Amino acid sequence: MSVVGQAARPTLPALPVRRRPRLRPTKAGGRSFLLTFVVVVILAAFLSPILRSVFVSLRTTEQVGALDAPPWPAVHGEFDYGGKQYDVYDVPIDGATKPLALVKKGRDSSQFVDPANADAGLITWQGSWRSLSRSWTFSPEFANYATVWDQIAYPRLLFNTVAIALIGMIGTIVSCTVVAYGFARFRFPGRGALFTLLIATIFLPYAVTLIPTYTIFLKLGWVGTWLPLLIPTFFANAYDVFLLRQYLLTIPREMDEAAAIDGAGPFRTLRSVIVPQAWPAIVAVGIFHVVYAWNDFLGPLIYLSTKPDLQPLAVGLAHFNTLHYRNQAFIQAGTLMTMIIPIVIFLIFQRFFTRGIVISGVEK
Amino acid sequence: MASIQVRPADLPSARRARRFRLGRPSLGRSALARNEARWGLTFIAPWIVGFLAFTLFPMVASLVLMVTNVRLDQSDPIRFVGLDNIARMLGDHTTWDSLAVTFRFAAFNLPIAIVIPFVVALVLNSRYLRAVGLFRTLFFLPYVIPFVSGVLAWQGMLNVETGWVNAFLRLIGVENPPNWLQDQTLIYPSLAFIGLWGIGAGVIVNLAGLRGIPTELYDAARIDGAGWWATLRNVTIPMMSPVIFYSLILGIVDVLQYFLVPLVLYNGTGEPGGSTLFFNLVLYKQAFNFNNYSYGATLGWLLFVITLAVTLVVFRTSRRWVYAAGDR
Amino acid sequence: MTIQALVEEEHMESRLSRPGVLVAAIAILATACGGSTATPSPSATTASAPPSTAASEPASQGPATVPPGGPVEIRWYCCLGGGEAPEQKSVEDAVVKAFNDSHPNIHLTFEVVTYDQANGQLATEIQSGNGPDIVGPVGIGGANAFHGQWLDLAPLIAKTNYDLSGFPENVVDIYKLDEGQVGIPFAIYPSALFYRKSLFDEIGLNEPPHKYGDKYTMPDGSQVDWNYDTIRQVAKLLTVDKNNKDATQSAFDPKNIKQWGLELQRDDLRGMGAYFGPGSLAAADGKTVQIPDAWRAAWKFYYQSIWTDHISLTGPQFESKDINPSDYPFFAGNTAMSENFLWSTYGVGDLDDWDLAAIPSYNGQTTAAFNADTFRILKGSKHPEEAFEVLTYLLGTASGDLLKAYGGFPARTADQQAGIEALQSQFKNQVDWQVAVDGIQYADNPNFESFMPAYNESLGLVGSGGKYLTEWGNKSGLNMDAEIDKLKADLQAIWDKAS
Repeated sequence: MSVVGQAARPTLPALPVRRRPRLRPTKAGGRSFLLTFVVVVILAAFLSPILRSVFVSLRTTEQVGALDAPPWPAVHGEFDYGGKQYDVYDVPIDGATKPLALVKKGRDSSQFVDPANADAGLITWQGSWRSLSRSWTFSPEFANYATVWDQIAYPRLLFNTVAIALIGMIGTIVSCTVVAYGFARFRFPGRGALFTLLIATIFLPYAVTLIPTYTIFLKLGWVGTWLPLLIPTFFANAYDVFLLRQYLLTIPREMDEAAAIDGAGPFRTLRSVIVPQAWPAIVAVGIFHVVYAWNDFLGPLIYLSTKPDLQPLAVGLAHFNTLHYRNQAFIQAGTLMTMIIPIVIFLIFQRFFTRGIVISGVEK
Repeated sequence: MASIQVRPADLPSARRARRFRLGRPSLGRSALARNEARWGLTFIAPWIVGFLAFTLFPMVASLVLMVTNVRLDQSDPIRFVGLDNIARMLGDHTTWDSLAVTFRFAAFNLPIAIVIPFVVALVLNSRYLRAVGLFRTLFFLPYVIPFVSGVLAWQGMLNVETGWVNAFLRLIGVENPPNWLQDQTLIYPSLAFIGLWGIGAGVIVNLAGLRGIPTELYDAARIDGAGWWATLRNVTIPMMSPVIFYSLILGIVDVLQYFLVPLVLYNGTGEPGGSTLFFNLVLYKQAFNFNNYSYGATLGWLLFVITLAVTLVVFRTSRRWVYAAGDR
Repeated sequence: MTIQALVEEEHMESRLSRPGVLVAAIAILATACGGSTATPSPSATTASAPPSTAASEPASQGPATVPPGGPVEIRWYCCLGGGEAPEQKSVEDAVVKAFNDSHPNIHLTFEVVTYDQANGQLATEIQSGNGPDIVGPVGIGGANAFHGQWLDLAPLIAKTNYDLSGFPENVVDIYKLDEGQVGIPFAIYPSALFYRKSLFDEIGLNEPPHKYGDKYTMPDGSQVDWNYDTIRQVAKLLTVDKNNKDATQSAFDPKNIKQWGLELQRDDLRGMGAYFGPGSLAAADGKTVQIPDAWRAAWKFYYQSIWTDHISLTGPQFESKDINPSDYPFFAGNTAMSENFLWSTYGVGDLDDWDLAAIPSYNGQTTAAFNADTFRILKGSKHPEEAFEVLTYLLGTASGDLLKAYGGFPARTADQQAGIEALQSQFKNQVDWQVAVDGIQYADNPNFESFMPAYNESLGLVGSGGKYLTEWGNKSGLNMDAEIDKLKADLQAIWDKAS
C-alpha cells in the first residue's frame, strides 16, 4: 500500500468538508435557465458554420450552383417528358397554382407540360419563368458519406493517423511531464536561463527553421518514415512543458515534502503525488497533441510525400479534395468524418475537467 | 459588502516559501543542493538532448543564413554578406509597416484571445449551467476542425452576398450589410472572430486550472459573505494567475507570429488595403514564395528578438501578479 | 518568484555565446556542403551539366542492362500544375511500372504533392539537396517560379538526335529561353470561347462564330465584326435578373442577377490582357515595367464588365461557393460565355449544351492566350542522361495515356486528331474542336507567362488571387487609369528592389 499517498493527507489543515449549500430552487432555477439560454444562443452562432458544413455535406448534386436552392439539403421536382428531365415550377395559371414542368424557356413566355396530364402537350404561359419558384423538399443525401468512405483508403489512412497521434501523445505526455517536473520542483544552476531558452525555441517562426530541420532528418535518413513526426515528441516541447510547469506551480509543496519525509525519491513523488494532482493538465496536453497530430498537414506532407502508404488522413484528404473540388458535399463529408475520432476522445476525457469535485488542494 | 482578500502572499504555502527562502542562503552549496540540482538536470535532460539534436542546428543555421545570400535560384554564388540583409530589412518600409500592422492587431486581439476563453471556462464551470458535458464538447468542437477548412468555412459565412451572417442581418432589417472581409474597419473584428473558433484549447487550459483551485477557498469566501465579483477578483483570478500567465505568454507568441488566416483568405496579398500584411506573412512569403531564405531568416531573427523582449518584460512583471503555491 | 529568467538572463547570454560560436562554425561547414548540392553555384552547375557527363559515359539508348551498382534511381515529381487526382495517379503509376519493367538500368519513382503545397515542397527538397530529377506536368508560369533551376536540354537533344520536327515551330520556341531549351512540347492548351447554346436559344440569339474572321449577326440582322464591343452587347442580352430583365433594359436589377453574360479569364491579369493582345510587362531592357495598351484596355473592359455592365460576377460573387461552386462560374451553368483555356474542359462535363467559339478580336487583331505543359529536368539532377531517357519515354511511348489522363491536347501535330477523339469521348454533346485547333495559330507571342524580374513576388500583384485582381473585383467606382498606374508603380518598386 502506498505510503506516500496516505501520508500526504494529514499534513494539510483538516478543513471540514463542506457541501455546497443547496441553491434556493426558484432563484437558482431562474438563473440556471437564463445562463443556459444565453450559452445556447451564443453556441448557435458559434457553431453555425459547422451546421452549414453538415448541410453542404448532405447536398444533392442538383443543388450545386442552383441560385434558388435553400441552404439545407433539398431536391426539387423533375418530370420526365419525351425522355428528358425537366424542372417542375409552381405556375399560376387559370386562377390556380399548378406544378408544371418547364420544357422550353423564353424571356416573356415559356412552354410547360403538366405532369398530371402530359398527353395534353405543351402549355404556353405568358410571363417570366425566373419569377416562378421551384418547390424544394428537404432531402439529405447520406450516401455522400458512404461514397467518401469508399473512394478514399479510409481504414489505412485512419490507422496511420491513429498510430502517429497516439505514439506522439505518449511521447509528449511522458517527456513533457518529466521536464516540467524538473523545472517546477528542483533548483539548479541556470534554471531560469534554460527555461527562457526553452520558451524561446518557439519564437523563431517555422518558415525559418523548416529547411534546416528537413536537412537534419534527411541526413539521418528519416525522410520517408514516421520518425521525424514521432521521435521529437519524446524530447518535450515548449508549449506543453510550460503549461504543465505552470500547473505544477499551483500544487502546494507540502505534499512533495510529506512524500519526501516518507522516503519517496523524486521519481516516486512524481508518480504518486504530482501526476495524480496534475491529471487535468496532463489530459489537456494529451488532447492537444492528438488534435495537433490529427490535423497536422505540413509535417506529414513534407516527410512522407514519397510514401503515400504512410500518410495520415490530413494528407490523404487533400488528394481527395483535389479530385472532388467540384463536389463540395464530398469535401465537407470527408472533413466531418475525420473529426469524429478526436471528438469521441474528448467526450471520453472531458470528465477530467469536471467542476467542483476538488474538495481540497490534495484530493482528486 | 464584506469581502475577503486572498492575496497570494497570504496563502499558507506562500508564507512558508518566503520563510524558507529567508533561511536559504545559509544552506550554501550543500550536498542537499547539489543533489537537488542533479535531480533537476536529470528530469530536464530529455529536453536538453532534444534541443541539441533537433532545435539547435536549425537555429544556428538560420543565423548563418542571415549573414549570407542564400536564395533558391542563387543567381550569385553563396558568400558572406555581413549585415547586408539586416540593412535591407531596416531600410525597407514593409518591415515597419508590417510590424505596425502586427502590433495593432495584437492590441486588439490579445485581450480577446485571453479573456474570452477564461470567461467561457468560468461559465462552463458555473453550477448554474445545465448539461455541462454537452456544452464543454460543443465549445471544443471547432478546435478539432482542420485549420484551413475552418477558415474557408468562415470565408463562406462572411461572404457579403451569400454568407449566413449577412443573411441574418438582412433578416433583421439591415439593408446593406457590410463586406466583412474587405472592409478595413471590420477586418480585425472579423479576424478576431475567426480566431475564436480555436477557443477550445484555451477553454481546456482554463478549465484545468479552475479545477485545481481548492474549494475551501470558495467556501471561506462564501462564509465571509463575498459576492460573485469579490470571489472572482480575490480568489479565482489570483489562483488562476499561473494559467493566465501561460495564456498571456503564448498569446503574445501566437499573435506576433500571426499570418495563416490572412494567407488563406487573401493569398497573402495583405488585402484589404494592406491591413492584413502581418510581419510573419511578409516573412513567410520571403522564405517560401520568393525563396529568399537569407532574407527570410533575417526577418525571423528580428521577430525572435522582438518576441524575446516582450516576453521578458512580461516575465518581469509576473513577479507582482503571478501566484505560485508550489514555487520557491 | 515564478521565473529566475531575468536574474540569470545575462548569464544565459554569456553562456550561450561560447558554444554558440563553435556550433555556428560547424553549421557554416554543414550548410556549405549541403548548399553546394542544393543550390548549384556556377562551379557545381558545370559539374552536373550534360557536357561533362557526356564525355564520361556512353549514351544509353533504349533498354540497357543493369549497370554495376544497381539501377540508377530517377525521381519524377508531380504536381505543380495538375496530375494529382486519383484517377490520374493510377495512370501515372501504370506508366512508372511499365517504364521500370522495360528499363532495367533505371528505377523510376513517382512523388505526388498536391498543387497547393507543390511549390513549397519542391523548394524545400531542392534547397536541402534532395531535389528530384524530373518535374511535371508543369506550365510555363509554374516553371518560372523555379527560374534558373531547369536543365538546358539542347546538348541531350543533339546527342540523342531527338526529333523535334513533329511539333509546331512556335510551340518549340516557347521553351527556348535565356536558360536554354528547357522543354520539349508535350501538351498544349489553346483558348476558345466556351458558351451555352441553350441560353442563346432561349432568346433566339445567334450563336457566336466558330470560324476566326467570321462576322456575327446581331438580333437586328446587322453583320458586325466579332470583337469585344460586339461581345459586350451580346453579353448584356444574356445577363438576366430574377425578373427575367436583361442588362440592356432599364428595369434591370443588378442586385439580383441570376445569369451572367460573359466571364473573362481572371486567373492572372497578364492572361486577361493576352486575350486582347500579346505583350509583356517587361520592357526591352528587362528592368522597366510597361503596361501594353491592349492589356490596359482588357483590364478596363474587365472592370466595366463587373461594375457598369454587370455582365461578369463581382469578386465576392466569384468567391462564393454558392454562386461559383467550382473554380469557374461557367461550370455551374449560370454564365453564358466564358473565355478560357482548353484545359478547362475538366469542369464542363455537367453541362450538355456547351460548345466552343472564336475569341473576339481587339483593334482588328485576334489573340487566343496560350498555355502549354511539359516535363522538365532539374539542373541539380545527378543523372541527367537517365532523366532524359525517362523524359523521352513520357513524351513518347507514354504520351497517349498521359495526355488523356491530363485532358491535354497533343503538341505533336500528327497526334492531334487522336487527341480530339479522346477529348470528345468524354462528353455527351458534340463539340466543335476545330475552333480550338484554329486557336493555336492565334497564340500569344510572347507568352503572357514569360519570365519577368522577381517573378513570384510580382505574381502577388498580377497573378492568381493577386492584389489588384482582388481589389478591382471588390470595389466599385475606381478610376482604372489611376489604378493601373499604381499597379505599374508598385511593380516597378518590386523590380527595383530585386536588382
